[in-house]
Amino acid sequence: MTPLRLTASLALTLSLVSHGLHAETAIILNSVDESVSFVDTRSYQETGRAPVCKEPHHLMAMPDDSAVIIACAVSNELVFLDPRTGKELKRIKNISDPYQIGFSPDKTWFVANSLRLDRVDLYRAADFSLAARIPAEKTPSHMAFDKASQFVFITLQDSNEVLAVDLKTRQPAWRHPVGPTPAGIHMTPDDRYLLVGIMGADYVEVIDWRARKTITRIVTARGAHNFLPRGDGRHVFVSNRTINGSISLVDMQDLRVVERYDVPGGPDDMEIRADGKELWATARFARKVQVVNLEQKQLSHSIRVGRSPHGVSFINHAPRQ
Amino acid sequence: MNAFLTDLFISAQGWLFDRLVQPVLFALGLAGYVEMGFEGIEFVLMGILELGIAYTALRPLEAFWPAERWRNRRAVRVDVMYTLLNRLGIIPLAVFTLLAPAFMALDGWLRFHNVIPRQLEDWLPGLDTHPLASFLIYLLILDFAEYWRHRLSHTLGGWWALHGIHHSQRQMSFWTDSRNHLLDDLIAGIWFAGLSLLIGVPPGHFIGLLVTLRLVENLSHTNTRLGFGRFGDYLIVGPRYHRWHHAIDLPDGEAYRHGCNFAILLPIWDVLFGTLHLGAKLPATGIHEDSPEAMAARDDFWGQQKLGLILMWRALAPRRRRSGAT
Repeated sequence: MTPLRLTASLALTLSLVSHGLHAETAIILNSVDESVSFVDTRSYQETGRAPVCKEPHHLMAMPDDSAVIIACAVSNELVFLDPRTGKELKRIKNISDPYQIGFSPDKTWFVANSLRLDRVDLYRAADFSLAARIPAEKTPSHMAFDKASQFVFITLQDSNEVLAVDLKTRQPAWRHPVGPTPAGIHMTPDDRYLLVGIMGADYVEVIDWRARKTITRIVTARGAHNFLPRGDGRHVFVSNRTINGSISLVDMQDLRVVERYDVPGGPDDMEIRADGKELWATARFARKVQVVNLEQKQLSHSIRVGRSPHGVSFINHAPRQ
Repeated sequence: MNAFLTDLFISAQGWLFDRLVQPVLFALGLAGYVEMGFEGIEFVLMGILELGIAYTALRPLEAFWPAERWRNRRAVRVDVMYTLLNRLGIIPLAVFTLLAPAFMALDGWLRFHNVIPRQLEDWLPGLDTHPLASFLIYLLILDFAEYWRHRLSHTLGGWWALHGIHHSQRQMSFWTDSRNHLLDDLIAGIWFAGLSLLIGVPPGHFIGLLVTLRLVENLSHTNTRLGFGRFGDYLIVGPRYHRWHHAIDLPDGEAYRHGCNFAILLPIWDVLFGTLHLGAKLPATGIHEDSPEAMAARDDFWGQQKLGLILMWRALAPRRRRSGAT
């Protein structure tokens, strides 16, 4: 560790300690400000902010919640933060242009989509060594996996398709046409359907991926964008990312919308509290994190953070199912 | 106050996005550009804000403490038009649209050949968590590059044919900063954005760097007697310093054959490379045009665009013309 890096780490650590971080801290990623905000989940106040890397896009918790990983698109690296304290644990360099990231369910593969460079990279999850670099025109965005970890499914935002990559052969397997500007993608708990947020329209497209056939559309609202399971194995939240946006709750068995909450400011990434009472969403266009009280079914708090918030995580979250 | 202004800015950005940009993008099937559109509005709003600051701070200097008094400001009008095209994002958008696909293709090709271009932070890792230090270092590098871009635009005949449009203004004011041939703007855009991508300027810094340089350039073109004093003139480029760069008659000496005071922000580059000149008087600005069409184009936007291309063609193809004539 260089003296400069050591000083930086110490400064960051001291800053976090002085801001009183604890287990009830939410970590928010501010893409344009290139920083992370720390928000006290009890007082709903931003308690600190720290620079992180160049153009961070998306964060995810490690499958075992041992760290929060931040994908730094322009600085070609992953930054690992302690999910409780926000303290930097390590950096892995030479991860080329990571935009969206994910682990296969069997934890064999770490996948990084490069939206800007039309490419999907497969890394060995054990040591983050590159295994394959797969062309994926155009603009590979979000990803989902099947339970057997045979495929990773990727939305291609500008070619209006879903791409399936076979993780065993490390080759593209097939493409399936979908609606305009597909964004988020989510596998139903029964491993049967892929749900695709059609951002260029107002619906979620439901694909029987084994038959490679679209079976229905679930109308949510304009800008259908991203998914987060409620944790009950049946429902999933869908963010509808427009300036006067909303979040829909979709029943994955009946394939219909059961609730909708007004969430202005371009709701994008989401996180849900373990007790299921609060849903947090980053509002990309409002520099805010919006908190929805799921019992009262309405917005309860708006918390000012940095520019273009693009990811929220806390340790005390509901199961990812 | 700060929170109020930030809220005001975000509200304006949101309103413009909701009423103007987003509906058009959705209607055209370009939802994938929604985020870029939102950030583009920020760029335009920053341009307007920057213009407001420049006008508020610099126009009084021109009114009450001018370097030259003019009978009227008619000649300035064309420079106002250039400025609006620039600050309202029209020229930057055109430059971006032309450049982005080429840069992406090159970067993508490099990655597929396992080349990840090294960035400043790879040599100075602590910069990741020191945004101010990182900002200042990038500013220094870009300003150095801008010195050489500017100097080359005076040295290379074909490029000077375009850049001469900027110098043809005899009533130089803070608006003159944006008076550039569109092709000159494109070349400058390639230079600035290309280097920024090459050294890995963080996107979050980009607007800040651009605004800093543009505000200093607005100031340095201002029609005012303002100087920064015996030492200050060596620290940052100001109106007196830059007026010598626009002097209609260059200082004597081989070192100034193509001009002097090329620095954009820091005079140190002129000091280091022997192109500094600080005369006691405040010279008249402009160039000696050598044709009636050049004189006619002085205040005419389209005339300037046409003239720049003709002069560039003549400068780049003299041999062909001569051989064609014989």
